Amino acid sequence: MNGAQHILQAFQQHSITTVFGYPGGCIMPLYDALVDDVSVEHVLCRHEQGCALAADGYARASGNLGVCIATSGPGATNLITGVANAFQDSVPLLVITGQVPAGLIGTDAFQETDVLGMTLGIVKHSYLVDDADSLPGILVEAIALAQSGRPGPVWIDIPKDILLTQVTPEAADYQEFKPSESTKPRTDQTTHNVAIDKSINETLRLLREARQPLLYSGGGITLAGAEDSFREFAEHSALPGVVTLKGIGNPGHRNPNHLGMLGMHGCRAANRAVDECDLLLVIGARLDDRATGKPDTFAPNAKIIHIDADSAEFNKIKTAAVTINANLNDVLRALTREVQAQPLNIEAWQKQCRTWLTTGGFQAADNEEALAPITGPAFVRQLSRIAGDDTIISCDVGQHQMWVAQHYQFNHPRQHLTSGGLGTMGFGLPAAIGAQFAKPGTAVINVAGDGSFMMNAQELATIRRYRLPLKIIILDNQCLGMVRQQQELFYGNRESHINLDDNPDFVAMARAFDIPALHINRTDQIRRGIETILAYKGPMLLHVSVAREENVWPTVKPGGSNRDMIEDTKPAKKKTEENAA
Amino acid sequence: MSQAITSSITTSSTTISGTTKSGTASSNRHVLHCRMESEPAGLERLCRVVRVRGFRIAGMSVESSGGHFDIALTLEGSRPISMLQSQLLKLHTVDEVVLGAQRARSVA
Repeated sequence: MNGAQHILQAFQQHSITTVFGYPGGCIMPLYDALVDDVSVEHVLCRHEQGCALAADGYARASGNLGVCIATSGPGATNLITGVANAFQDSVPLLVITGQVPAGLIGTDAFQETDVLGMTLGIVKHSYLVDDADSLPGILVEAIALAQSGRPGPVWIDIPKDILLTQVTPEAADYQEFKPSESTKPRTDQTTHNVAIDKSINETLRLLREARQPLLYSGGGITLAGAEDSFREFAEHSALPGVVTLKGIGNPGHRNPNHLGMLGMHGCRAANRAVDECDLLLVIGARLDDRATGKPDTFAPNAKIIHIDADSAEFNKIKTAAVTINANLNDVLRALTREVQAQPLNIEAWQKQCRTWLTTGGFQAADNEEALAPITGPAFVRQLSRIAGDDTIISCDVGQHQMWVAQHYQFNHPRQHLTSGGLGTMGFGLPAAIGAQFAKPGTAVINVAGDGSFMMNAQELATIRRYRLPLKIIILDNQCLGMVRQQQELFYGNRESHINLDDNPDFVAMARAFDIPALHINRTDQIRRGIETILAYKGPMLLHVSVAREENVWPTVKPGGSNRDMIEDTKPAKKKTEENAA
Repeated sequence: MSQAITSSITTSSTTISGTTKSGTASSNRHVLHCRMESEPAGLERLCRVVRVRGFRIAGMSVESSGGHFDIALTLEGSRPISMLQSQLLKLHTVDEVVLGAQRARSVA
């Protein structure tokens, strides 16, 4: 068995059934081995970035490891954006690239790049394999590392000659991740520790002492597989709660104390609650700048309790009174037991937060004028009502991404696939492809902007090849809307290179890939458009022309304080006139 | 094994903004002793984290023995050194990061 064949055996041993890849010179031995392998489904995307982002979407939707494969040189460099995207959002990926033969490394050989060097900042760990017999151990370790603790991408760069070299039977038997002195502790293990118990007790003491405690959760809840224990805690504590972009869906949309997303495009109720709270219980979140705004004015009156799988996030932005680095499930269950036994006395605060929610939630009046142009929020609200709880929505990046975050009612965090940390335009379509492979029986919709869609539009060919039934919705405002919005608000309305009014005919483009498509541009067409694509058995695209000048409200100036939220400044009457024009 | 599953309790809440907790821009000198597996790109990994997390390497010595690197880093920077220690310990091949006698003299 050579190195390439051993990789496929390792996939089988680790129940890796789907991989996303693109062949080329130095990875050919692995593709040759694939000819004789029936245990792994290899999905051929049409660009390596599509492979990495599809693997990312697969991992986000399923909770399993995503795997992508490419060749050396441009194949590897094309993966980089997708891998950086996974790194920023702590998505478990295994990345395998071919490299020029070991003897040619450093000779500027054809399709040689220093992949190990250029990817150091976007991986949890990486390897350059220099011996076929080390490959089995590296694979086992890489697969474990990618998924343990705070997950992330692990990259294995393998010279072509190593792929062709026989692995000795003794080395091939390596099947366990044998912890060495250098192995990091895994925070997903059950932990009982005196210091942690003490911190949990201190957390409870501060919770009971607080008059206005607030729950703040992020993507770490899902990464830890702690959705159920989080919901139990949220329900039994009855704490008012806010979520980050990646925490959307954590409490479900039926939790009466849920205030919604906070931050730059968060709702006024959520940001107000953070501003007024006297205790902030942060769970599975890193207090990123899009959520906190200016740190000096973030939660100015609050003691902070920070619970996370990654201790390096503690005290990075704000100093916490209590930090707990442990299995989130264990901590949440312990806290739940205590608040069940002795409920918190925060009725006045709950009432206050609900009042704020009624006046400062995400408000977007549905346009009652049938012939009026479509607005993003109105469209997303109808999509949410029609598509329902079980659908996976994969977004791109920009205004449409924020409208989805604000107005779609998500009941589970794995239904909302969004590029949070890196903000990768072009994420949505390949991520939807990955999600559809992970969840073949689930409806998957890519909600894209016209700018983002064009960044990975080649993956329409992947949808056609595999006849994936996913739906694509392009909210087309014929410009880079979020950039235009910021130029309008913060750069004196000086538009600079945001115009996309020469977009292709998206309907014709989809049809060129055998994907039927519709175009709508009036409010009274929204329902029929959505129902038509959802009822269709195969892939379908809905091209939605939306008002160009619509902004995402509220907003906070980058670097500004969340207290200084900017609301829609245009009078309603004027807007109506603009829409009618 | 220097990293452990931990918890801590502190007494105050402070914003860590700009360069230091106190908001001043002065740069401090620190010595960090690191022990890591010798692996391809190991030293690059370490130095990259130092740079990205806001420190400058003023001096560095490396000794290799028994499959490990013992590294002494003299660093200058105005951010809390504990933040860098935490980030270095996240590297899979870093076993230990110990802060040396802290010569907290200002070099700015």
